[in-house]
Amino acid sequence: MSLSTLLLTPFVGALLLLLVPGNYRVIHRFIALVTTAVTALEALRLFAAFQPGIAGIQFEQSSAWVPAAGFSFHLGVDGLNIGLVLMASLVAFAATCVSWDIERQPKLFYFLLLLMTGGAIGAFVSLDLFFLYFFNELALVPTFLMMGIWGRGENRNYATFQITLYLTLGALIGLSGLALLYSQSGANTLDWVVLKAWLAENPLSAHSQRLILPLLLIGFGTLVGLFPFHSWAAPGYAAAPTATAMMHAGVLKKVGLYILLRVAVPFLPEALHHWMYPLAILALGNILFCGWVALRQRDVLLLLGNSSLAHMGFCFLGLAASGVIGVTGVVLIMVAHGLLAALSFGLAGHLVRATGTADIDRMGGLLKTMPFVGTALIMALLAGCGLPGFANFPGELTVMFGAWKTLPVFVIAAAWGGLLIGGVYMLRAIRDLLHGPVRAELPQGDDAGCWRRVPFLTLLAALIFFGVNPASLVDRITPAAAAVAGVPPVSAPTAGSEPAGHVAVTSSPNHR
Amino acid sequence: MDAHAAQHALAATPAFSSRPEDLAWFILLLPLIASASIAAGVRRSTFLSATLSIGAVVAAFVLSIALFLPFGLGGYVAVPSTFSWIHAGDLNVDLGVAVDRLSVLMLLIVTGVSSLVQIYSTAYLKGDSGYGRYFGSISLFTFAMLGIVLADNLVMMFVFWELVGVSSYLLIGFWFEKPSAADAAKKAFLTNRLGDFGFLLGILMVWSATGSVQFAGIANALALHPAALGSLASIAGLLIFCGAMGKSAQFPLHVWLPDAMEGPTPVSALIHAATMVAAGVYMLCRAYVIFQIPGAWPAPLGFLSGISALDIIAAIGGFTALLAALMAVQQDDIKRILAYSTLSQLGYMVMAVGCGGPAAAMYHLTTHAGFKALLFLGAGAVIHACHHEQNIWRMGGLWRRLPVTFRTFAIGTAALAGLPILTSGFYSKDAILVSALDGGHPVLFGLGVLVAAFTPFYMLRLVIVAFFGPARSDAASHAHEAPAAMTWPLIALAVPSVAVAWLGLGDFLSAHFDPHFHAHEGGGIFGPFNHAPLAAMFGTGALLFGATAAFGVYWGVAKDPLPAQLGCLSRAMRDRFYFDELYEAVFVPLHDMIGRLCGAIDRWVFSGLIIRGVHGSVELFGRGLRLVQTGNLQTYTFLFAAGVAVVVLLATI
Repeated sequence: MSLSTLLLTPFVGALLLLLVPGNYRVIHRFIALVTTAVTALEALRLFAAFQPGIAGIQFEQSSAWVPAAGFSFHLGVDGLNIGLVLMASLVAFAATCVSWDIERQPKLFYFLLLLMTGGAIGAFVSLDLFFLYFFNELALVPTFLMMGIWGRGENRNYATFQITLYLTLGALIGLSGLALLYSQSGANTLDWVVLKAWLAENPLSAHSQRLILPLLLIGFGTLVGLFPFHSWAAPGYAAAPTATAMMHAGVLKKVGLYILLRVAVPFLPEALHHWMYPLAILALGNILFCGWVALRQRDVLLLLGNSSLAHMGFCFLGLAASGVIGVTGVVLIMVAHGLLAALSFGLAGHLVRATGTADIDRMGGLLKTMPFVGTALIMALLAGCGLPGFANFPGELTVMFGAWKTLPVFVIAAAWGGLLIGGVYMLRAIRDLLHGPVRAELPQGDDAGCWRRVPFLTLLAALIFFGVNPASLVDRITPAAAAVAGVPPVSAPTAGSEPAGHVAVTSSPNHR
Repeated sequence: MDAHAAQHALAATPAFSSRPEDLAWFILLLPLIASASIAAGVRRSTFLSATLSIGAVVAAFVLSIALFLPFGLGGYVAVPSTFSWIHAGDLNVDLGVAVDRLSVLMLLIVTGVSSLVQIYSTAYLKGDSGYGRYFGSISLFTFAMLGIVLADNLVMMFVFWELVGVSSYLLIGFWFEKPSAADAAKKAFLTNRLGDFGFLLGILMVWSATGSVQFAGIANALALHPAALGSLASIAGLLIFCGAMGKSAQFPLHVWLPDAMEGPTPVSALIHAATMVAAGVYMLCRAYVIFQIPGAWPAPLGFLSGISALDIIAAIGGFTALLAALMAVQQDDIKRILAYSTLSQLGYMVMAVGCGGPAAAMYHLTTHAGFKALLFLGAGAVIHACHHEQNIWRMGGLWRRLPVTFRTFAIGTAALAGLPILTSGFYSKDAILVSALDGGHPVLFGLGVLVAAFTPFYMLRLVIVAFFGPARSDAASHAHEAPAAMTWPLIALAVPSVAVAWLGLGDFLSAHFDPHFHAHEGGGIFGPFNHAPLAAMFGTGALLFGATAAFGVYWGVAKDPLPAQLGCLSRAMRDRFYFDELYEAVFVPLHDMIGRLCGAIDRWVFSGLIIRGVHGSVELFGRGLRLVQTGNLQTYTFLFAAGVAVVVLLATI
């Protein structure tokens, strides 16, 4: 059991798929299912074996790749990514499960899905930023292909074009930020561990920090859907096949945030402090603006897409707040939202397939005809408006507590108001989709039968587990959060003292 | 999952369950286990669902009694175990239970009323297709409510607060195919959410000032530094009160409660009379220490200095009590009358807290839980007997046909109206009037007396119209008494409404809030007339006045005479003073308009921002290139030379 086997599993599965001739559909599906199931189980074992309460990288593996350029193949997990790895593999498994209805070229579909899975896991476990970026790109390309080939709806060509352009451009800008970091740091490496040790001794000047951060924020922010670079997201998810929407909204979107957590928080604290208010305002843009846009949607997929953008606002808010509490909250939300986005898009995909429409106005009373999917969707929508019991609540709550320390009251009030808007559109969706009298004219689609429930139950179980027992995640996250957020801001005396204040508090282990 | 969590917990605290206070965990978890198993599949069997749910809550009731004996009667101080929930930086949240007089009393109320309501429901919902789901939801509700009661910190209380909100949402929307029920559920949830908005901000303020979210920690911090909250002291208190405003349906968030009557009647009895709506009052009492610190306002609100958060709370409570009592006078739906009466009584309790009498508020909460649940269940029996007729003017003469229901309903009415000496309601209402007088709020005292006159008026109107006179519909003339599963809970609830069992409760609770409290000499059933004769006399006078007026106006009439006499005032009372319409006309379109605006901006401005940008720049570049493409050899040569020059220049730098 190691990170490299975890990382290799999806790629081995993908290769196996290529060896099977095109007409053995059952075997394709079987290979994909087994591969993702094994990946998920491996990730689960790693998560369980991960020692909570300890700072530093665990399950570390490293080998030099291009020593001259300082690139190395360096794998490892700490509190920031262990939960994400587990989330990614669970979502990949669920996404594979819901793809039973792919009729056209299932072999290629599953191949791309496994590639996406491998890329996402690779991005999360790579400690060399070069490989992190590479794996992210590896996972993004299948997204575009899948949307183009198996996409749905009339707008899918435009949506695919838009998402490809946005994400490629965003990644490029982000890459230029990383390149600038490489050249400015003088460490001659993008290996995070080495870089961190180096920068602890020789912090970047405030000037270069302020130069790098905007590139990273706009570049990787675009990958996450940071306001106002968000408009690719909702139409993209509406046009993507269900599994792709689940993987992208759930997993891939988190890579951008993850890079920001990994790089911006520890290496560019001064710049982060400098850009705190603009970032907080953009985060409010996500929370409020996208929330209000969601309020107007009458297409269930567009609604979920916009609501997912609103949730990302809480991550950016936590990032702006930084500090141990803020970073912990961001990671919590990333894990929770990954599970939740996959669950909601999976269920909505089921509804759309069963009823033949995504138009909320044409649906109604579905809880009566599809009790399982309906109940699960109610749970997902309620989790989406921050109901305790699901993992999103502890995340949003923690971000709120973290933000309270650094940001003005009106920002926190507005963000919390965003959850209120979330409540309005989520409950409206429940009312219009699931409650009310049964629509006779609607095709009576099947409820999810025994096996089709597995992906939804898996995601729900994870959401509830982390919602009821967030300590299982938090205790793993906090040491790493303290390690990244606890670095003194900058060598220059102009820096704010906020992150430093947190070190003093957290350096004493708070074991119970 | 839960098993895993429990194992984790067990490992964390080896001493688990060696102390009696750890019983509280079992009380909390029993209904959850019932709810989870019903959700997992037991719901297909109606019998098993009901048995499991009732078994769990009755067991929880028995355990609550076991807990009440050492903690309520003895002076045992509890130190329950806690489980880690979120520990990040200086944010420390644990799951812990607070076992003291306040919570053990509330445990008895919640599990007791919930047991009776669930037994009653087996008959009331017989044959409903959602029978299993009903018991699953009501067990979930009971769990959430017990969580609020036992929470030892603000975050945990908030967690269960929201869970209560959602389980109430599920129960109000139990008949979700009915548009009115689905709408009412949504309205209740969102209105509560609005209150919680303030609640969480208040929690954040208190945490950042005191460094703790635990009630004990907050109390210690505030005892050391009463000015810890600085100029935000009053604001923080009011924000926390916002939570209570939502749950306990205080003005201006009162609009959801009457609509919530769309749920099944037993649900109204449990949630919208005895427990959930009482949670707001309970929370105010639990967090009372936050309200006790000296008030302070930030500079822009300096003109409010001299007024404390408690004063505002008291005013809102008193206003709600009167407003709701006025609305109740002109309702025709039996459940809505009771709903407005509940609003009014909750206003009483909130007023008592605001007047510095949390013990009086809790006292009234306790007695009210019993007799209001009784009244709702009685109304359910009436509705059941009249084939889902809810208009009291289409009933009549029921006292003869529904003898048990009538007698118990009459007892409940007497208790609500505050019949002296005989009923529990008299003592608790008297305690509230006394606290208004002692707190130096003569205006609120007068308001309370006024409400005390309206209460018997609208309740006797209901009893006279529905139970006496001739039957005014077929359904009413063929009504039959409900089955035993419904009548026995009525009888069981009537006992604490008449008995003087709660007589020592006021002192019991006062001792909780004030360690130096000494019980008055000369207690007993005539106590109120001995040590606060003014309040007792006024209360009794108001009752006599209201009751006489009700008999005078409604005895022997076939149609409500008040609309003719009061005109538009009566219409306004019936139409709830147009608050719902006001909100619908202002907030809903406003919110929609912002949504519309954002949608338009998103579509016309942001969508394809980059695409248009890229498209535009490519086109501009193309236009530029076209200018260069002149076909003129000299221009090309010049450009070539310029290019070489630039390259050479770059290479030399």
